[in-house]
Amino acid sequence: MNILIAIGGKEYSKPTLELGMKISDSFEASTTIAYVGKKISQFSEKDVSVVHQNLDDRELYRPGVRTLEWAYDFLQSKNYIDKKDANVTFNDHLIIDEENSRMRVLLKGSHSNKIDLILRTGEIIDQLRAEVETSNQEITIIGGGGNKGMHHKLVQFIDSSVMVVKNYSPKRKYRILLPVNNSLGSNKAIEIAQQFAKSKSLPIDIITVLENKPSDDKLKNILVSTENRFKEAGIINTTKILEGNPVEAVVNYAGDNSLVMLGVSPKNPILKYFFGSKPISIAQQCNCPVLIAK
Amino acid sequence: MNESYKIISSSMLYWFSQKRWFVFSVLLAILLLNLATPVGLNVAGYHSLIILLMVFTLVTFEPIPFPAIALLTLVLQVLLGVAPPDVVAASFMNDAVLFVMGSLMFAIAIVHQGLDIRLAKIIIKLFGRSKRLFLAGLMTISAILSSFLGEHTIIAIMLPIGLSVVKNVDTKQTDGKNAVLLTLFSVAYGTIIGSIGTPSGGARNVIMINYLQEFSSIHIDYWEWMKHAYPILIVQLVVAYFVLQFAFPTTLKNIQIKGYKKKVSKSNTKNNINHLFSFLIILLIVTSWFLFNEEFGLGIIALCGALIFMICGMVSWEVINKNTNWGVILLFAATISLGFQINETGASSWMVEKFNGLLALMPESNINFSWPFMAILTGLTANFFTSSATVSLLGPMAIELQPTDISFALSAAIASGFSFLTVISSPTAMIIYSTGLVSTKTFFKVGLLMFISSIAILYLMSKFYWVTL
Repeated sequence: MNILIAIGGKEYSKPTLELGMKISDSFEASTTIAYVGKKISQFSEKDVSVVHQNLDDRELYRPGVRTLEWAYDFLQSKNYIDKKDANVTFNDHLIIDEENSRMRVLLKGSHSNKIDLILRTGEIIDQLRAEVETSNQEITIIGGGGNKGMHHKLVQFIDSSVMVVKNYSPKRKYRILLPVNNSLGSNKAIEIAQQFAKSKSLPIDIITVLENKPSDDKLKNILVSTENRFKEAGIINTTKILEGNPVEAVVNYAGDNSLVMLGVSPKNPILKYFFGSKPISIAQQCNCPVLIAK
Repeated sequence: MNESYKIISSSMLYWFSQKRWFVFSVLLAILLLNLATPVGLNVAGYHSLIILLMVFTLVTFEPIPFPAIALLTLVLQVLLGVAPPDVVAASFMNDAVLFVMGSLMFAIAIVHQGLDIRLAKIIIKLFGRSKRLFLAGLMTISAILSSFLGEHTIIAIMLPIGLSVVKNVDTKQTDGKNAVLLTLFSVAYGTIIGSIGTPSGGARNVIMINYLQEFSSIHIDYWEWMKHAYPILIVQLVVAYFVLQFAFPTTLKNIQIKGYKKKVSKSNTKNNINHLFSFLIILLIVTSWFLFNEEFGLGIIALCGALIFMICGMVSWEVINKNTNWGVILLFAATISLGFQINETGASSWMVEKFNGLLALMPESNINFSWPFMAILTGLTANFFTSSATVSLLGPMAIELQPTDISFALSAAIASGFSFLTVISSPTAMIIYSTGLVSTKTFFKVGLLMFISSIAILYLMSKFYWVTL
């Protein structure tokens, strides 16, 4: 599995990186940590590129490289990277121009080959979409800052599951909240939740929401089959049927100590673009990390 | 729902979300084409203004690549009957376009020589006695060099010097942050201000010189331009120094001039023969701009600079090809071509007529409103649209306002160089912004003060100094 973690400024990216690496670790996935730098006007893009080459030659790193350096040190401090060669420092690493607006920090010496550090410049949705396509990423993890419209576009246009990390604290005890239904995305969310819960020994709350109807046998069956699946896998879980508006019900139930994992809406993409969808609204309104599986 | 339908509609939505400004500009153009031609304007002129509106929208929001905008401009001129193909082709290439091409290539060749260490040594020798003097020197040298070699060349050489000095400054403290900003803005403002000084300082200057010659048969040579613009540059530099001290108060205690001095003195540049050759080539080209610009044109001379560097083997074609912004060259060529058609079709005269009609509505006074309006308009437009493109499109109208008075055309070109407000306005602003150390908000806040001061300086100079020349 390939997982993409998009980071921004050092202060705000720590929770994203921490949770992203936990998920990546649970899947034993190859991880790409990408910093997307500011979009450069077409008028100045070559001038900026020449200046950046000049700065690299003089070891005056561009800001994105500084952030990647911080991310690399952070991963080492958390033992996600085994540093075998004590003489290797970040300054020894090279930056390779791979293609338009994509650069890879080539790490010298002995280190985990499962971590890629990528520097991109441009419009964030464009760049993350390109990165997902380039490296076949299956989950994209991004911080909860920025505007809500950006998260909407990410879920809409990026061809991978998307996790928005909001208000995450490693000190807090989390449980996975898994709203299920009969969509394909929901099946994918169940798979991801199972793997993550098993690896990190987290309990799962499986819920389903009945909207404007007293009962739904289909949903109840899915709830029971998911419960059995987790029992067989040895994962502690509870089940609950909620009623009312699905977005409000999930947001209220989630609180701030849940990791919400749910499937993408099967709705028409055009309707989703103009009117949004329930998973997108949940991701926007929840005060905790939310993964929308595709 | 059918998966392939979802994939197709999702791809189409993505395309639409990325290209919405292109779709908008096309729809707007179709709407305008279906309206009646305004009174006093012929069909070709009306269509040229519709293309102008499209170009403004597309260049501002960049929904399609610049080369595509350039080609679209050319194609539409012919398809909408603005001019026949031969005329469009003939107006596509002139000395101003050659200058843009030559100066971009020349800049890459110069930057490739690694002259920053050599320059740093000179600046330290001349201005190294104190930190504040060093920063003033950095700004002054940036301005002088930028006035001859263009801001995109000099910012690439000077920025590494500025960043080396502030390399380990802690930007979490206000004093440290201000020290970093003061250093970066000293370099940036130096290069921006410098670019107004001579015709070769910026493509917009050459474009305006070309327009003046074509539309009003007025020729301004290199020295003539300098006589008008250099005093403004000097006053602006002094004002910029104080504006920056006011905007970024700092003790400068975190700046490491001594450490940088040591580092620079250790680097061995004495035996670098390329530096000597580079200096000689630059001297030759600048001297040629002074002496032979009438005979050979500024563009051909700039091309000679790049040519000599390549012949001497000091820069390879691969490096020049990789780093030259061919899209910008195409775009300038296309916008200059459109500028010519706007003038030829009488659209610029019509715009000026409308503009004068608007001015006539203002209360009577002794103040001539057309100058400040035109200077502020070009200055502001340049900040959102870049300076050279502004001059290539608004230049004909600035000349049309006062065809025999060069102060209008010169003011428009110089005001369009006041790219202090937005980071997209010039390569310098974008490069400073790309370091991640300067926010758009900071750039605008300080820039607003500088922009207003610069317009005032330009007005006073045109009113009291230019009349004496």
